[in-house]
Amino acid sequence: MPDAFRTCPATGRRIHLGAEALVKANAVVAVVALLIGAIAALLLVLTRWQAVHLLPAVWYYRILGVHGMNMLIFFIIYFEMAVLWFCCTALLNSRPAAPRLGWVSFALMFIGAAMVEWMQWSGRADVLFTSYPPLKADPLFYLGVILFAVGALTVVGLFFATLVIAKREKTYEGSVPLVVYGAITAAIIAVITLLHGAMIYIPTFLWSLGIIPEVDPQMYRLVWWGLGHSSQQINVAAMVAVWYMLAGLTVGGVVLNEKVSRSAFVLYVLFISMASAHHLLVDPGFGPAWKIVNTSYFMYMAVLASMIHGFTVPAGMELGMRLRGYTDGLFGWLRRAPWGDPGFSGMVLSVIVFGFVGGITGVTIGTEQINIIAHNTLRIPGHFHATVVSGTAMAFMAATYYLLPLVFRRKVAFWAAAKWQPYLFSLGMLLLSMGMTFAGSFGVPRRHWDISFSQAPFDVQFNPAVDLVLAVMGIGGIMAVTGALLFIAIAVKSVFFGEPVGEWKIGTYVPGIPPGITNPPVHAANVDEINERMHAGRGFPGPTPGTMVLVFVFLGAFMVYYFTNWKLLSQLWKLG
Amino acid sequence: MTDTHRPPPDPEETPPLGQRLFDNVWLLLIAGLVVMLVVYTGWGFWEIMSMPQGTLP
Repeated sequence: MPDAFRTCPATGRRIHLGAEALVKANAVVAVVALLIGAIAALLLVLTRWQAVHLLPAVWYYRILGVHGMNMLIFFIIYFEMAVLWFCCTALLNSRPAAPRLGWVSFALMFIGAAMVEWMQWSGRADVLFTSYPPLKADPLFYLGVILFAVGALTVVGLFFATLVIAKREKTYEGSVPLVVYGAITAAIIAVITLLHGAMIYIPTFLWSLGIIPEVDPQMYRLVWWGLGHSSQQINVAAMVAVWYMLAGLTVGGVVLNEKVSRSAFVLYVLFISMASAHHLLVDPGFGPAWKIVNTSYFMYMAVLASMIHGFTVPAGMELGMRLRGYTDGLFGWLRRAPWGDPGFSGMVLSVIVFGFVGGITGVTIGTEQINIIAHNTLRIPGHFHATVVSGTAMAFMAATYYLLPLVFRRKVAFWAAAKWQPYLFSLGMLLLSMGMTFAGSFGVPRRHWDISFSQAPFDVQFNPAVDLVLAVMGIGGIMAVTGALLFIAIAVKSVFFGEPVGEWKIGTYVPGIPPGITNPPVHAANVDEINERMHAGRGFPGPTPGTMVLVFVFLGAFMVYYFTNWKLLSQLWKLG
Repeated sequence: MTDTHRPPPDPEETPPLGQRLFDNVWLLLIAGLVVMLVVYTGWGFWEIMSMPQGTLP
């Protein structure tokens, strides 16, 4: 394939046409997976909402598996493949390594995903997302997962090879940009993840064929979670990279300190994957030393990294806005921010919900002692819907609003609806997560078709408030699915039937093109004077006082939630 | 995002050791794999393998 490039009229970057086609293909399939996952989500939420209770038991568990694979694996990983191709080529002005092999990888992933879909929808893989033995699926299910993983791992290898090409051909100077560094972090975590996937799915595939007699369930859980949870840590790294990118594109966000931000990414590389041990905190096979070292001492290094990014991204936006002249008061920069730009609003909502809901609940229920009152309750999906969906999926949607004009060269369709889509989706997800979290706090189990236990020989009474919070969960879920379907409609219309971006004059407003592209943020004429004033004699709050206030609000919320859970734990068993 | 305080790199100047370490993708990859495979996977395997055999009553 010839190395044909085009020059992006907005950014001036050289875009390799072959790599751009791979970005497009992966992004389109990601949206298809999102559509399947969103329809499944609607069916599930209308079943767990006890007053509606839509699906019969068999279909509830079947659709739960479909939802898990499409949302947690296919949508997210296809989009991450698009992010990797974009970062290593467009952001480094490089040609891709072996684009033909890239298409082979794409085909492997597509065939694998199609096989998994076929097995799940036909009822031959009713083993949920985790597929714990002794539950056994059709061998084609495991083979499909293996093919998908091999394809994804090949793309990660091509990503690393492209980095080598870019360095050798000197397409960039110095260190790679911070956004690419985030993508490198995601790629390294992907290697760790997919290695564990191979370690567990290959023997399980052989077991399903009858070649080996058994798979030890405890071994399976240990290694499978090295895949199942770590795959969501790829998301975290990719999501943070997207935050940095969108902060720069939308409001001219600056990097406060490259060393600090890169150190935080290195902490992810070293420590974030061991969050997998959270799922094994009540398993009998592991001692407290293994559990605490993995989920506390080492894992907290990754929590520290997330808190660093959670500070540097908004602080970078605040400083960037102040350098553009928005210097009034503590939050003048926030009031003047482009809230009608879905790329900006989506990114900010992703940061807020990921940190305040996903982060706080995750660290709390990941504490070994507290985990005993949260394990296998709806608090767990309440947590990860706030991280993976409100955080990662929202960030990917926000990025799409910029990728549509920059990569697909199409205007964003239904522009007026696109402006409020992030708010609808985020509010819906927030209600869903809070509803699940509160229901779980009352002991409502996760992955359970009927908590009224109808026809069971025993009776379990839940607090009547559970009906209320499950209704909140249901309403939130419907809102979120509506927001997701709206995003899909916008993306499909834009890509396949959208108006070409054409030409525009810098500084003008063009409906359908985010303002960060048509009117890129630039520093004020007196930027040096503002910068000096911001850094001189500001005392403890430094040049970003608004973000410092938000940090203390976050830490206060964190402490309240954390210690409330210790109080709840103390009331679990009455002693004496 | 751009760093307003970072001067343009001097092509003749060798980057500091910390930056060279952070820029070494292969070192990061190996370190990430080793930490996870030793602390989580390897230690976890050992915990399971060293469990005494359960006996039926």
